[in-house]
Amino acid sequence: MRKRRKKKRAQEDVQLNLAAMLDMAFQLLAFFILTFRPAPVEGQINLNLPPPVAIRDMNAQQAQDDDPDVGPASAHTLTITIVSAGNGQVASMTVGLAKLFDGPLDGSRLKMLDRRLKDVFAIEGKPFEQILLRVGKSLNYGELMKIIDVCTKQKMADGKPVNKISFIELQEK
Amino acid sequence: MSSLPSAEQAEPNLTPILDMVFQLITFFMLVINFQSASLDMSLKLPVVGSARPVDKGGEDLLVLNINLKGKLMVYGGEKEPTSYLQHEAQAARNRLEAGGKKVKQGDELPTLVVIRADHSTPFELLNRVLTDCQTNGFRRFALRAMTRVEGGKS
Repeated sequence: MRKRRKKKRAQEDVQLNLAAMLDMAFQLLAFFILTFRPAPVEGQINLNLPPPVAIRDMNAQQAQDDDPDVGPASAHTLTITIVSAGNGQVASMTVGLAKLFDGPLDGSRLKMLDRRLKDVFAIEGKPFEQILLRVGKSLNYGELMKIIDVCTKQKMADGKPVNKISFIELQEK
Repeated sequence: MSSLPSAEQAEPNLTPILDMVFQLITFFMLVINFQSASLDMSLKLPVVGSARPVDKGGEDLLVLNINLKGKLMVYGGEKEPTSYLQHEAQAARNRLEAGGKKVKQGDELPTLVVIRADHSTPFELLNRVLTDCQTNGFRRFALRAMTRVEGGKS
């Protein structure tokens, strides 16, 4: 019994030195605080960019569509031409062959583009499957993204969203 | 003078502070994101309100940070797009071959290319990178944008 009591007392007296553990814990904490970077609030627009050779020029496609011997085109492409101003803003925009507006892009012009695209994609018998953006060299990525945003909101005749968008560089003088 | 010996013997109870520190460490360990190291935070992304939330699936991603000069920013250093993309495409093909799929040079790759370009990057420079990607077999792209202006304004 005496031995047992002695053993119990010895176990009760054991005290861990927490200071060393606390030092280590503070070092770990300092590392995590210093390397902590909150994730930015980012979103993305998913696109399938077809290979460059598969994209056809709209005039060539128009000529092919009109030719009864050639038959219907495999992928109907709607061309949007965006001419850029020197400052990276939009100078003018043309949807198909019709000019939409002249001047920089703003909210009302984006709505105008949205309405026009909705009208174009609603036309029966001419199912567009992809959009070809002919973009001026100096157009800013920010401005381009606003236009892509409007394009990806459109739906094709079968109800699927438009995600086949291709780009070519507009040869500006 | 009589209070000196008792002050020397005073030992603060470190257990609560240790508990709190371990809780903080647990929090930081859970929220740490090593993938964000590949994102260049110096770039000012365009703001597009309708951009979808980023998919966090386990697919193969290639993040391209494109600066104003049309160069790729890789872990803080500038790299030439053409050679970098060739190298990455080869690495993607090697990964596919290791999984038992045979892919030739220029064939379509399943890798999702994430484009993070500065909002002022001219299209001419951006298009060079996109064309290089397409030439190397990348077809799937995700254009990154901020969903709201930094600072809370939407």
